[in-house]
Amino acid sequence: MNYLANSRNSFLRRLADMAIILAMCWFAAYAARAAELKVPQQVVAGQGFSIATSGSGSETFYLIGPAHVAKRDVKIGEPIVIAGEEVRAAGRYVALLGKGEGAARAVFYVAADKPANINFLARPSRVAAAKPGAISGVAFVFDQFNNAVLAPTPVKFNLSVEGGAPVARTVKTQNGIAWTRMDSGRKAGAAQFVASVGETSVRRVVEQVAADACNLRLKAQRKDDVVVVETDPVRDCAGNPVPDGTIVTFTQVDGKGRSTVDARVKRGIARAELPPSDGATISVAAGVVIGNEIHIGGAR
Amino acid sequence: MKPVLAALVMLVAAGFAADTNPAASKNNGPKVDLKAGSAQPRQLEDTTEVAIARDYSIAWKALATALGENRADALDAGFVGVARNKFGKAVDNQNKAGLRRRYTDRGHKLEAIFYSPDGSAMQLRDTAQLDVEVLDGNTVIQREQIAQPYLVVMTVAEGSWKVRVLEELPK
Repeated sequence: MNYLANSRNSFLRRLADMAIILAMCWFAAYAARAAELKVPQQVVAGQGFSIATSGSGSETFYLIGPAHVAKRDVKIGEPIVIAGEEVRAAGRYVALLGKGEGAARAVFYVAADKPANINFLARPSRVAAAKPGAISGVAFVFDQFNNAVLAPTPVKFNLSVEGGAPVARTVKTQNGIAWTRMDSGRKAGAAQFVASVGETSVRRVVEQVAADACNLRLKAQRKDDVVVVETDPVRDCAGNPVPDGTIVTFTQVDGKGRSTVDARVKRGIARAELPPSDGATISVAAGVVIGNEIHIGGAR
Repeated sequence: MKPVLAALVMLVAAGFAADTNPAASKNNGPKVDLKAGSAQPRQLEDTTEVAIARDYSIAWKALATALGENRADALDAGFVGVARNKFGKAVDNQNKAGLRRRYTDRGHKLEAIFYSPDGSAMQLRDTAQLDVEVLDGNTVIQREQIAQPYLVVMTVAEGSWKVRVLEELPK
């Protein structure tokens, strides 16, 4: 008799336990279903915040963003703390509480922080002096986490070469980009091309070199059994000496025919020796620029 | 007769689809429709248009592979710089959390808005049609179908155009 009573009690206890477990499961499921996520309207990159939850129990929380993905257990009803480092990347984030159909879900966007970095493309690295629109600069503005800053931001471009007047221009970004085109300066040398946003600036060097020779002048004199020809200091139209190594061509035409000598500019002057001639015309050229012409062996 | 005609129509349609989307057909990447007319201050060259559509498609294929298989190395096919680091980090985090993202890419409407004077950088705007599933282990925990706008910067790197910035924009 006692055995039967004990068995019945044990069965009833088990039944009661199962009922309690079932009720707890149902409650947990209900609580999770009832949970809601409230995300802030605006989140700035790198700034932590809390997601308010409603309901009770515990659940798995997922945060899925462009660069950050996290999974952790949280207590429903308590705010979920999102650390600043979890939202460094600007873009779309999905917060999920639970899985599947019953999961609570919220979507929010993280915007870039204030400007802190500039990617600056300056072209070309070497350019002829005094050339209109020859230098271009493109500035991409990013925040400290390398998110594109889309709010219009003034970028100051400054181009200067030692001894010359600097040229400055301010351009507002569109979709995170500001660009400009500038004339190269009249003076040869290493031009400093700087893009700045607030306290942040990036410098590039654009080598401004002398342009084509200008006012090329030649003189000649007989020496022993040769004719020595040399130029005046070779400069561009802005007065910059052309670089050493620039090729200058001397041409002598006389009764015997034509002799041509290519000479490199050395310390600003090109020099060559031509064969002797009683009556010859000598001319000089550098690239497409033609200089003066002289006649030896007779007046011209 | 009717089934033969239907098959012929399907064949022609398939051929036409492949022709109109060369970027997708050659690299098995998603379809990319590029509108290049409004790029400033420089106009896109014909060859650049083709290259951008092709390389952007390659980049999305690489992104889907990287996030779907948790393989950061797959990103190298289409990403450099900031974008490469960002998505590389996402793959690391997914690995740690045991998660994956599965993309079904239904195509991109891409518009060039800025092409640098020297021709080395381009900014574009994209609207991507995506089905995204997030998997925890092998369980799909979220599934969504979105039309997501993106801001894109592509630059010339290693002989092709690569994505340097890819950021979701609020709708």
